[in-house]
Amino acid sequence: MSNLGRREFLRIAGVAAAGAAAVRYAPGAPVLAQTPLTLRIMWWGSKNRHDRTIKVLEMYQAAHPGIKFTYEFTGFNDYWTRLATQAAGGNLPDIIQQDYARLVEWEGNRLMVPLDDFVKDGTIDLSRVPKVSIDGGRVNGKLYAINLGNNSQSILLDTDAFKRAGVPLPDQKWTWQDFEQIALAFRQKLGIFGAGYEFSDQQVWKSLYIARGQWVFSRDGRSLAVTDDGPFVEHLKMLLRMQKAEAIPSLQQEISEYHSNIEAQPIVQGKAAMSYQWSNQAVAEAAAAGKGRNYKLVHLPRPKGGKPSNYLKPSQFFSITSHSKHPKEAAAVIDYFTNSIEANRVLLAERGVPIAPKIQEALKPLLQPVELETIRYVARVQTDSSPLPPPDPEAFAAFQNNVFNPLVIGPVLLGKISPEEGAKVLRVEGNRVLAQKS
Amino acid sequence: MITNQFRTARPETGRRERRRVRLGEHHLAGYLFIAPWLIGFFAFTFIPIAASLVLAFTNYNILSPLPHWIGVRNFERMFSHDPRYWVSVRQTFYFAFTSVPLKLAFALALAMLMTAPRRLVGVYRAAYYLPSIVGANVAVAVMWRQIFGTDGVVNAVLAAAGLPAHTSWLGNPATAVWTVIALAVWEFGSPMLIFLAGLKQIPAELYEAAAIDGAGVLARFTRVTFPLLTPIIFFNFVVQMIFGFTVFTSAFIISNGTGSPLDTLLFYPLYLYQKGFRDFEMGYAAAMAWVLLVVVALLTALIFKSSRYWVFYAQEEA
Repeated sequence: MSNLGRREFLRIAGVAAAGAAAVRYAPGAPVLAQTPLTLRIMWWGSKNRHDRTIKVLEMYQAAHPGIKFTYEFTGFNDYWTRLATQAAGGNLPDIIQQDYARLVEWEGNRLMVPLDDFVKDGTIDLSRVPKVSIDGGRVNGKLYAINLGNNSQSILLDTDAFKRAGVPLPDQKWTWQDFEQIALAFRQKLGIFGAGYEFSDQQVWKSLYIARGQWVFSRDGRSLAVTDDGPFVEHLKMLLRMQKAEAIPSLQQEISEYHSNIEAQPIVQGKAAMSYQWSNQAVAEAAAAGKGRNYKLVHLPRPKGGKPSNYLKPSQFFSITSHSKHPKEAAAVIDYFTNSIEANRVLLAERGVPIAPKIQEALKPLLQPVELETIRYVARVQTDSSPLPPPDPEAFAAFQNNVFNPLVIGPVLLGKISPEEGAKVLRVEGNRVLAQKS
Repeated sequence: MITNQFRTARPETGRRERRRVRLGEHHLAGYLFIAPWLIGFFAFTFIPIAASLVLAFTNYNILSPLPHWIGVRNFERMFSHDPRYWVSVRQTFYFAFTSVPLKLAFALALAMLMTAPRRLVGVYRAAYYLPSIVGANVAVAVMWRQIFGTDGVVNAVLAAAGLPAHTSWLGNPATAVWTVIALAVWEFGSPMLIFLAGLKQIPAELYEAAAIDGAGVLARFTRVTFPLLTPIIFFNFVVQMIFGFTVFTSAFIISNGTGSPLDTLLFYPLYLYQKGFRDFEMGYAAAMAWVLLVVVALLTALIFKSSRYWVFYAQEEA
């Protein structure tokens, strides 16, 4: 008890001393003509991204003594929780990293400011940036977000494993049947998984229909638009076959091993020859796997005779929130990320392929093989892809977290219900959740 | 005589105090001293609780500026349109009603071992209490994930013993919930300490008398130890039950926040968290919180009511 008391006392004393120090220094600080104004900025990502982003912010600060940054960063899931509470408290950061899936919701709640004026007056220079790379950031005709890099779904191939197994590399028009055969070959020839987790991801589900020229959600986002369960059932059956043959890890293994950290990925550990991810994430995966390994990126498989499963997507954006008191200064920072060659020498396309052509050119000689491969890959997808689908509906997160994963994918892949039943649950429960959101 | 003195003395001090109240001196210091607590209580406990009661009747996505009133629709939805809600209720009851008895049995057994006057018994007590100090935090839950992982200690031990080494304790819906129950049972330290104190209260004469009457170990436990310990068991049971219904950290970390596999780890507080902070349905989450409060209060009342049938207070007979 006395011990606790002492500790408590020390803590209080410490806080008091810090407070006193703050009071003492604040008035003493010289009031310059331009007291640095503080911009708050927040992003999500991996450790790799945090280090690079912080370095760029420090460079900007050094070049602009009038600007000071305070920043926060987290992983993807905590990010939205933290932002939402800040939004409720009325103190959002000036600049936030924004996601394609959340744009509509954020615009609906008037939490972002339109950037068109800053583009017009040249604060953000988007001249020579192709229209397709800008338009993803528009909602109802207004530009709310600047694309930080382009992205597409991809399969990362460990080319050394392919060589060892004597399996030829697939070409970009490969089908899901090819995928299954190739994955099985790795189990038979090398005794490893053909591919890792994530083929039951809802992104893949969406792509099954994109390859058939359909968008899974209705225009108003309040119901499912696809009525044909066939492609989804077929896909689930394939995953069950592959699980059984140990061509991919089972869902059981995935739950117990996959901690959402990249080091646990089978391809990183050499336990699989292929993996599914967004193309910019391949860089982090290859980095985690270590030097001396060789990779290639290839399109997501498509159905036989189908259109491309891929589309080109803004990996993420920067937006300025409506709580910002210095939107113009914030816009200048976004321009630095978009157009500064020295900043991009640090960022190195980790957020996706930069949208400004001059930056892409400037980066090429600096890049590691995998980073270079992502740039080339995105260029390949540009020539062979389906159009960018509309943003996800407002209830998408609820749909994914309360229906798609727990009621469909889990029960089907753990063998509790059949793929046909799973597809039915998805339609019934999915429509209910989508309609519920007000 | 003595009581009389007190009776005559009392009114005087009382009058003196009343005068001070009127003057308002010396009480001011008192109010100042409790002000931090009062401010803290109102700002961080009372007002949020009151706010959550209001929010329970609204639809509030924290991004939008204002919640809007929807009456009892949240409760309707909870009870009749939300299959995962009932899964979370079922799993929470399952967890509480398996982990609490197991934990108490463990704590009692260990406490009885600890009462024996052995060398180093202090060290043992400290060692067994340790998990309760470090327990129920993120680091322990992360460690638990490792222990029950495919390449974890549990499988290694099983393999060494020549038993089938299960592939995945955490991924299998039949075993996942038991890893969390095991974690809860492992944190038996504080009920154990309370049992220890209770055991020390039982007079040694009773055991001696029982031994002379020829009672064996089992009879001594069922006829002496257990009945005299029921007030302590009752206390531990109530406290642990409340903990059991509010389990969160372990399930959150072990299932990566999802409650998988097959929602077997979707305990009520975890689902509540998902609704509030992942799906941003604050009104619904607040409604869930109030239902939890009522259910736990009812259960506690029920345990209190039942106590007169099985809890034995020595004073009653004296």
